[in-house]
Formats: sequence, structure tokens, C-alpha cells
Amino acid sequence: MSTKEQKERIELLQGTLDLLILRTLLLGPTHGHAIAKAIEFRSEDVLQVEQGSLYPALHRLIKRRWITVEDGTSENNRRAKFYRLTASGRRQLTAETSKWNKLAGAIARILRPAE
Amino acid sequence: MRRGKRMLENLEQEIRDHIERETHDNIERGLPPEEARYAAIRKFGNVTRVQEETRDVWTLVWLEQLVQDIRFGLRMLRKSPGFTTVAAGILALAIGASTAIFSAVYAVLLQPLPYANPQQLVVVFGANLKEGVKETGIPYLDFDELRAQNHVFSETAATAGHSLTLTGAGDPAEVKTEVVTPEYFSLLDVKPLLGRTFLSEDGRRGAAPVVILSENLWRDRLGADPRILGKSITLDKRPFAVVGVMPGTFRSPVFIEEPRDIWIPMVQDPLFGGLMTLRSRPGFGILARLRPGTPSAQAQAEMDAIAARLAKEWPAEDSGWTMGVVPLQRVIAGNVKTALLVLLGSVGTVLLIACVNIANLFLTRATTRAREMGIRVALGAGRNRIVRQLLTESVVLGLVGGTLGVFLAYGGVRELSSLLPSGFPRVQDIRIDGWVLGFALLLSVGAGVVFGVAPGFFAAGPDVQGSLKEGSGHTGKGGVQRRARNLLAVAEVALAMVLLVAAGLLIRSFATLTSVNPGFDADHLLKAEVSLPQFEYSTPQQWTAFSNELLTRIQAEPGMQNSAIAVPLPLADGPVNLGFEIEGNPVVRPGTSRTADYVAVSPGYFRVMQIPLLRGRLFSEQDEMPAPPAPRVTLISEALARLYFPNQDPIGKRMSFGFPPKGKSWREVVGIVGDVRDVSLHQEPGPMMYVPYAQAPFWGAVVVARTTLSTSSAANTIRQDVRSIDKDLPVTDIESMIDALSASVAQPRFGMFLLSLFGALALILAAAGIFGVISYSVSSRTREVGIRVALGAARGKILQLILSETAKLVLLGLAIGIGGALALGRFLGSLLFEVRPTDPLTFAGVAILLALVTLAAAYVPARRAMRVDPMVALRHE
Repeated sequence: MSTKEQKERIELLQGTLDLLILRTLLLGPTHGHAIAKAIEFRSEDVLQVEQGSLYPALHRLIKRRWITVEDGTSENNRRAKFYRLTASGRRQLTAETSKWNKLAGAIARILRPAE
Repeated sequence: MRRGKRMLENLEQEIRDHIERETHDNIERGLPPEEARYAAIRKFGNVTRVQEETRDVWTLVWLEQLVQDIRFGLRMLRKSPGFTTVAAGILALAIGASTAIFSAVYAVLLQPLPYANPQQLVVVFGANLKEGVKETGIPYLDFDELRAQNHVFSETAATAGHSLTLTGAGDPAEVKTEVVTPEYFSLLDVKPLLGRTFLSEDGRRGAAPVVILSENLWRDRLGADPRILGKSITLDKRPFAVVGVMPGTFRSPVFIEEPRDIWIPMVQDPLFGGLMTLRSRPGFGILARLRPGTPSAQAQAEMDAIAARLAKEWPAEDSGWTMGVVPLQRVIAGNVKTALLVLLGSVGTVLLIACVNIANLFLTRATTRAREMGIRVALGAGRNRIVRQLLTESVVLGLVGGTLGVFLAYGGVRELSSLLPSGFPRVQDIRIDGWVLGFALLLSVGAGVVFGVAPGFFAAGPDVQGSLKEGSGHTGKGGVQRRARNLLAVAEVALAMVLLVAAGLLIRSFATLTSVNPGFDADHLLKAEVSLPQFEYSTPQQWTAFSNELLTRIQAEPGMQNSAIAVPLPLADGPVNLGFEIEGNPVVRPGTSRTADYVAVSPGYFRVMQIPLLRGRLFSEQDEMPAPPAPRVTLISEALARLYFPNQDPIGKRMSFGFPPKGKSWREVVGIVGDVRDVSLHQEPGPMMYVPYAQAPFWGAVVVARTTLSTSSAANTIRQDVRSIDKDLPVTDIESMIDALSASVAQPRFGMFLLSLFGALALILAAAGIFGVISYSVSSRTREVGIRVALGAARGKILQLILSETAKLVLLGLAIGIGGALALGRFLGSLLFEVRPTDPLTFAGVAILLALVTLAAAYVPARRAMRVDPMVALRHE
């Protein structure tokens, strides 16, 4: 929790983490730690999720029935909870992704001339 | 919820696995195991918080947190019993007082009247704006035409009140009687407890006399006889058949102050029955019920048309007179509305000051709890969460105070009801019910929010680093805090100033009112009323004989020589106001009238009352002969001489008047006596005319005696003398004139008493507030003071420093308070007697009092600062 680390991390916008989780699960069901790793890896370590915040987000998604959870066995043969995208989660992902792209585009257009 | 429970199973295990995996990854990346684990945990974040937040997804978060906060709040309150007791005590007092006052406001101003469709009920008043007469009665014959001609009222009724003598049921007694036309009860739509109310037949001339009893009279004097219906009771020596009993909850809605014992049809009444063929004023109180859907404005328009017609038809009696329609509720609330609202405002101010005080306490505590808050923030509590928790704490305190307050209010309402002046409307409706409890709840929560906001605001953004570093728990935001605290102190002084000015004005007004000279000497003066049943004592000769006999017997008693008879007695009885003419002056123009209050007195009256004779002579024994043959004479008051005999000598002039108004006769003015305030102490003395009792007897008498005997032994003497003449005559209203005077100012006294009480509370709270602020300021500056002393500052200088700082706050508060009091003063105007709402003496006095008290409150902690030992102070913290 040093100050330096806090500054380098890009804080995720509210709701963005949900989107990233859904996107990650599009590749197939997996467990919590793997989701965190995947987000970090795919963002080339720019997005450093405080891994703990993953869990409330996962449960929010379960509550909205966008993902489900089942018991499974991980790569090294350990029992773990596996999260899986549902059909409605998939629809949500499509909708959110296009929304996000619009937003990102708009922000980029606004910011460009100032640079 | 259940789904959530299943989902949350093994959450802890899952998190542990997660961290283990991360540790494993880190080791694979080449970190030593210890460091790998540490990095994994760091990356994961606060495990407890993650668990909590995950659980929160599945629970009704706010509810659970609320329960948690309430429990925590209660625990905090228990942990600091001193703080809790003081704060809850202050709150309980303020909320209790507010609730009690509100219960009266609710009963009188807000609660619908206890009759069916009360919004349809109106009063029709007579008024003559040219003569400045507002809201008086309507002559019976005019009422008759109003009733026949209008299209806006479904029912109308006339009413009047007086007393009759009840005999044959225990001791003879005066029973308070309401004399009504038969529609009265059906108009109000009230049901009897037993029997029936009046029928229109009961109102016909020649109908058998009937009476309706109040439940109280039926129980107290008639043993709650279940077969009372059809039996007779004797009123003024005439039998009346009982046809019904009204429940004890029924009260006459208007015109009549004290609850009635019986109701009789107007046509049967020995006094008012005779007025039913007259167009004489002041006439009767008129109640009416608007037809459904008829607006009051339409009724008013029709009354205007009827009044105009009457004035054309009867110019001598009705020219200049109009009729006004006023909703019943407004008539009932009318007299006391301003007083009640002022009281509510005052008690609200007390509550506000109490809140400011508690906010101050909370602020002080917030400072000492800054460390706790810092830790909470460091552990991940959000700003909103902390504000919410602090607000919950203060609201919990508010509710504790409110609950105690409601208990106090129960006592307060009982106390209030006994304090209320007689004639206060709807006293029986003043109680704590659902609405009042709702109000108390609102106050408690509102107060909690108000005094929770300030500390909540300051505590919410503590600078974490600062508060954790500062050892003793003082935050780095001392400046902001001190400003806030000073602001609260200023607010307190300002509010207290406003309230104390109001109290001061009422006290001064009351003192002025009670020091007014009524025109007679009330010391050692006693009065007693004897009423003669008119059916037995029916002729003026009988009345005179009785009065002469009574006065002779009373004057023969030791200590009672100085006695007289007067009807009506000034201030104790309502005045009888009569029109008069002066010989040689043009007859009074129709529609305007010369009127004066009329009193019939026995010759010794002016000596007994010590009303001075200014010119001419008093009544003599010769005037005690019935006239004729004796010449008719009158004495007039100074005001009458000044108003109607300007620049001339009234003595020897003749005036024509009489009571009842039909019996006019010419009388010679033989003398001028001093003015008397006969209507009320706060009304300038008006013109009065006196006649010898023997020349204008009444069917009863008020005995006044100047005696050194005690009230009770004098009363016994008078009772025995009355009984020795006629054992069936009741003697009532025996009291000293001082008490009668005091009763006549009961309402202003009531207002003054309560407002003074609230003012005193405000003063104490403001002083306590200043004490708290200065104490805190001193203790947080111990170090600074120590340094000053160590550097050679004189101790007197330290005292001066602190007191001058207080003075600045107090002066600012006083200035704001004076502004507020000036702005709000006009609301008091109608409650004040010969004192202006801007009275400089009151303002100055109150300002000085408040300044002295608050400076004294600051002096105690200031002295403590003065005695600070520099060595101890420098080691402080």
C-alpha cells in the first residue's frame, strides 16, 4: 500500500471491472485468480486490479444472472469455484462493449486537440 | 437471500486459495517465499473488507448497517454517560416543552372541530364599523328575518348564556345555562347520551318548559338517575321537564367560555325570552351551517344584502349595521392564535438552542474521536459511511431525548391545562395523540439530524495522516473547528437574545397592565353574587325589598359595615352598555349611538370602592326611594362628562336612558365621579353612568364589602345572611377583588409565564453553550497560554485575552439577536399592553443581562487558563 504503487495503478471506473470480467469469461469458464491474472496480462499490466475487488464484482454479476458458478478442478488438480458466462451475460457484454467503445471514442475525440 | 447464502459458502476458502495461487506465481517469478506471500496479500487488498463487500452484495446493506450503527450509537452513548445524560436531558426538556405546546396548537388551530362536517359551521356576527364595533351579536328580530330570508344556510340557531337557580336537588345552586333556539343541537349534529335534543315544538310560545342536562350535572346532583327522563327539575322556582342528557364530552363550541350545566329553549328563559320580541343590541350569538357546497363568500354576499334591507326597513335600529360570516374554527382560535403561535415559536427557539448546544458537544467529541475516525478511514470506511454512522448516532440520541421528552410532555400537558386561563378554547381536546406523537418523533429525528450535521461534516473528511500522527487526538483542522464552534456560540446568543426580548416585552407589558389603576381600591375588597329566581321574585319591588334587607343585615355584622350593592360590578361582571340621550342636544342620528356602561348602586358604593367624587354630590338616602315619587337622578363618570359635555357643566342637565332599554326615563345629573376600568384592565375607561339601585333594581345583587375579615369568614357571614332571608337562594362567586382582578389578566399572565420560562431556559442553555466553547478553547490552548506565561505575559492579560475573545462572540450574537428581535417584534404587537415591540429599555436590559451571564459563564474557564502552570502546560501533549 505504498504511495508510489497507488499512483501508478490506473483505477478502474465503476462498472468497468464488470465488463472486463464478462469479456474474460467469454473465453471459457475459469476461477477467480485466473480472471485477475488474465485482466492483468491482457492489459499488459497497466490495469492492476486490486484482486480482492474481483469478488464483490463476481457476486454482483451472479446476482444479476450474467454469470453462474460451479465447482470444478483447476489445472493443478485443486478444487476451485469456476465462473461461467450465461446467455444473458453474453448479451450484456455485447451491449456494454459497444457502449464502452462509443464512450472511449468520444473521450478520445475531446482530448485529442488539447494534446 | 437464500441464493446469496449458498453463493457465499466457502468464500473465505476461495480467497485463501486465491492468495495461495498468487503466492505460488510470485515464487515462480523468483521471489523468496516470505516476500512472495506478502506481495500476494498486498495485491489482494483488505481481506475483511472484500468479504464484507461481497456479503453486502447479497444483503439489504443499508438495513444491516443501520442496525449496526444503531447498536454502535447506543454503545457509544452508554460509554460516555455524562455526555449522554446532559445531551439527552437538554433535548428531553426542549422536545417535551415543544410537544406540550404543540398539543395545544394542534387542538386549537389544526384539529378539526368535533362536529360533523365542521367546515360548514360558521358564526354570523353583527358589526358597525362606523362605531368601531366588531363581532358582536345580532338582535333577535333581525335573526328571525335572516333565518327566513337566507338561501345559504341549512340551519341557523341563536344562543346566549347566563345562570339560573336550581333548587330541590341538594343545596340551592347556580347552574350555568345555555339558552338556545331548538335548532342548536341538530345544527351541530350532536347526539344526546339519553333521551332527545330539542324539537321545534319546544321553541314555540306556550310550550311546556323542557331542559337538557349535562352529564356532569346529571351525575353530580341527580345521582345519575337512569329514569330521569320525564322528571322535573326546578329552575328559578319553575319546573322544567328533563328530555335529554348530553354526554360529558359535549361543549358549547363558541360564545360561552365555561362548560354549561343545562340547556333550555330560549322562549322559556326568564331573561332572554323577553328579548325575543326586540331589536335590541348586543343581541344573540348566531351559529349557522352552510348548505353543502356553499362557499362562505356567497353566504357573506347574501348577509350583506339582508343587512342592507334591514337597515332600510329599520333605520333607527339597524342603519350602519352589517353582518359578517366567519368560519367557526377561526372564531374559536381567534383569541389565542397569536399567543399560541408566539409560544410555539419560542419553544421552537429553545429547541434550536438546545440543538446548537448539543452540536457543540458533538463537535467537541468529534475532535476527541478524530483518531477513531482516522482509523476507520484508514481501514477503508467511505466518507458517506462515516457521515451516516455519525448521523445515526445523533439521531439515536435525538430519539432517546425525544422519548424522555414525550414523558415530560405528558406531565407538561397536564400542567399546561391547569395553567390555561379559563375560557381558553378546546381545553378538553388538548392531549397527546398520534399527531402530537408524530410531531415529537419528527422533532427528535430533525434535532438529531441538525446537531449531527456539523460534527458529521467535520469528522467526515479527517485528514487521516494528520489525525493518526497527532498523538493526543487533536486534528490538524483546529482552525475550521474553532470557527464552527464560535459560529455555534454566536447563534446561541442570537437566538437567546430574540427569545429573551420577547419574554422581556411580555413581562414589562404584564407589569404595566397590573400596575394600571382600575379606578377603585381593590385591597380588602370582597365580592359575592346573589341571584334571585325571577319566577318567585318577579317584581322590582320584591327585588328592592330583598336587597335592602340583605344590605341591612350584612352591614349589621361586625367588620362588614362598609358594604354596598352594585349590578353589574366592574371587571367582575360583563358590562351593560346602554344608549342615552342628552336633553337639549339633538336626538342621536340613526345608526350612531351614544352609549355608556350602566351600573345600579346602593348609596355607599362609591365610599366602599373608594371611587372619588369629582363634582356635585353622591347618591343620598333620599335617592333610595323608588321613583317616582323621588326625583330620578344619575351620576356620570369623568369620561362621559368630558366626551359628551365638552365645555359645559353637566350638573343639573338631564339624560334619558334605562334598563331594560324599553324603560327609558329622564334623569338629572347630580355629580361626576372618577373613571373606572370596568371592562378590562387593558381597556381605557369608557363613559359610565350610575343610578340608585332603588330606582332601577335588578333581580339579583353583587355585594361588595371592604373588610379586614378573611375571605372565608366574610363569605360565611354573607351566606348566613342570605339564607336567613330565603333558604333557597344560592350565593356564588365569592372572591376577593384582588383575585377577580388577577383572574381578569389570566391570559396575559399565562403567556408571560410560559415565555419567561422559555426565556430562562434559553438563557441557561446559552450560558452553558458559551461555557463549553470557552472551556474547550482554553483547554486546547493550554500550550499557547503556557508559552505566553513563560515568556512573561501577566496572568491578568491572559484573562483579558480570553474574556475579550468571548466578548467579541457575545457582541456579534447580540447584534444579530437584536436584528432578529426587531424583525420578529411585530408578531408580538397584539399581545403587548402599552409597550412597543421595539421598547429600548427591554432591549437594553436583556442585552446587558445576556452579556453578563455569558461573560460570567466564560469567566470560569478563563480563570483556569490564568492559573495554568507554564511547566505543566509546556509538557502538555
